[in-house]
Amino acid sequence: MSRRALRALLLLAGASVLLAVWAFPILWGLLTSLKTERDVLAYPPKLIFEPTLANYREVLFGSASILPNLWSSLVVTGITTILTMLLAVPAAYALARLDLPGKRSGGFYVLATQMLPPVGLIIPYFLVLQRVGWLDTYQGMIAIYLTFSLPFAIWLMVSYLEDVPREMEEAALLDRAGRIRTLLYVILPQVRGGIAVTTIFVFLNAWNEFLFAVVLGGNRVRTVNVAMFNFISVEQTLWARLAAAAMIAMAPVIILGLLAQRHIVKGLTVGAVKGGGRR
Amino acid sequence: MARSSDRPTRERRERRFALVLFLPAFLVLAIGTTVPLFYLLWASLWRIDLSMPWLSGFAGLENYAKMAADPRFWNSLGLTVIYTGSTVVFQVVIGLGLALLVLRIPRGQAALRIAAIMPIVLAPVVVGMFWRTLVLPPDYGLLDLVTQALGLGSHNWLGDPQLALVSVITIHTWQWTPFSFLVILASLAALPPDVFEAARIDRANAWRRFIHITLPMIRPAIAIIVIMRMMVALSAFAAIFAATGGGPGTATEILNLYAYRTSFTDLNLGYGAALAVVLLAITLLVSFLMFRLRRAA
Repeated sequence: MSRRALRALLLLAGASVLLAVWAFPILWGLLTSLKTERDVLAYPPKLIFEPTLANYREVLFGSASILPNLWSSLVVTGITTILTMLLAVPAAYALARLDLPGKRSGGFYVLATQMLPPVGLIIPYFLVLQRVGWLDTYQGMIAIYLTFSLPFAIWLMVSYLEDVPREMEEAALLDRAGRIRTLLYVILPQVRGGIAVTTIFVFLNAWNEFLFAVVLGGNRVRTVNVAMFNFISVEQTLWARLAAAAMIAMAPVIILGLLAQRHIVKGLTVGAVKGGGRR
Repeated sequence: MARSSDRPTRERRERRFALVLFLPAFLVLAIGTTVPLFYLLWASLWRIDLSMPWLSGFAGLENYAKMAADPRFWNSLGLTVIYTGSTVVFQVVIGLGLALLVLRIPRGQAALRIAAIMPIVLAPVVVGMFWRTLVLPPDYGLLDLVTQALGLGSHNWLGDPQLALVSVITIHTWQWTPFSFLVILASLAALPPDVFEAARIDRANAWRRFIHITLPMIRPAIAIIVIMRMMVALSAFAAIFAATGGGPGTATEILNLYAYRTSFTDLNLGYGAALAVVLLAITLLVSFLMFRLRRAA
């Protein structure tokens, strides 16, 4: 019995170490964001200190406010997400359910576009956007963001649409409901959850994007990730402030991640399961 | 029997409807990924140097010939192999170990799962900055606090070339091991419990049970993880960029970063495009080999 208890204790200890390794840097960041710059550099580090919201105030309303950058991120990410869903849901329905000509190759094509390394595409994007004068514009950025969110959204939606029982659709069609009405009023309500999860993942991916944002953005359209990155290279020492900015930028993805936590595994492996052609 | 006569038109109508639904997304992808891909191939045959625009012109295979004699390219290729190989192995081995451990914990699995999700949802660029400013700086970084407390001294984790490579590998492993952990945990939890019962009755020891029963059953999940994580590691960018920028010197400059720096720091887009083509070729080759291996298994 005591040996068993010891083993359980060891397992628990192992698990707690793990938890600490993953959670600690983030908690440490939270602590840092509540310190004064002087407390940050104190040695040994202060675990008990007088918390201050000055960093948040400075980051939001000070001279180097990130509010415009949060707005840029929100516009780019929000519009990208809406457009992606408007394009992806119908396409996924055609792939999952309808007699689409060239269905298999169509599906494979969508999957293949996802495998292209972003660094390979950024050079043509830059050259083309420069030529048409769309560098550092919302429309340029959103157009490019569509290209990496679409394949993912289509495949995730396909996996949800395939789970809808076929009978529902057939019954609706027999009622002469028409194809569009069947899709809108019979199929889509069935995959509400899938649409919500897909929307969350598309938003997460776009919000976290950095490479395209740093190359194709500029003074007008500068997402919060890029702004933070500039922070680090310009103001090396203001780490409490950087931590506060990071906390603000991270808040939406953490909340969305927690909302979608049960679906994370599915969201991250979608396509791989199908792409292997095993199932 | 009116139905049979209107059947072909119905089928044709359904096809047309399917095309109308699929075409917008298809066009966006074709214009947004396939056309740029050909543009990239074409650009790699040109001299496009934005810092010396007067030199621009058709170069044929010049960029590729230059690459063969470029030690920085070979260095980046070697680093790509090391970075991709080590991060993928670490993610799978650690993730598997953790999943086996956590599976035996009667309580607290939910808390662990939530902790595991945190790194996954964070932007890699934020993760890179976090490690650079909070964990890795000498003297007051978290890691140095630990090593100094243990009497191992202070280290310049991002400034020393070899340590910097270890550091960026660690950062990637930290952020993405939770992913393989979650996937393996999910597939372990989905295994039928009677398999283990039977083996336990047979008095097979834990190690043999793992090798002969558990491992073969979760092999598909591991194959998926390896394929996906290789693709991601090959084009890893933001975390390294934020933590070291590819430096010190070229110590952490994997091929992906070299292509970026050449294109957007040195503004030599022609050569950068050629480097990107090589990266693309490697990615396609790896994915092709992995999928074939997986199908053969």
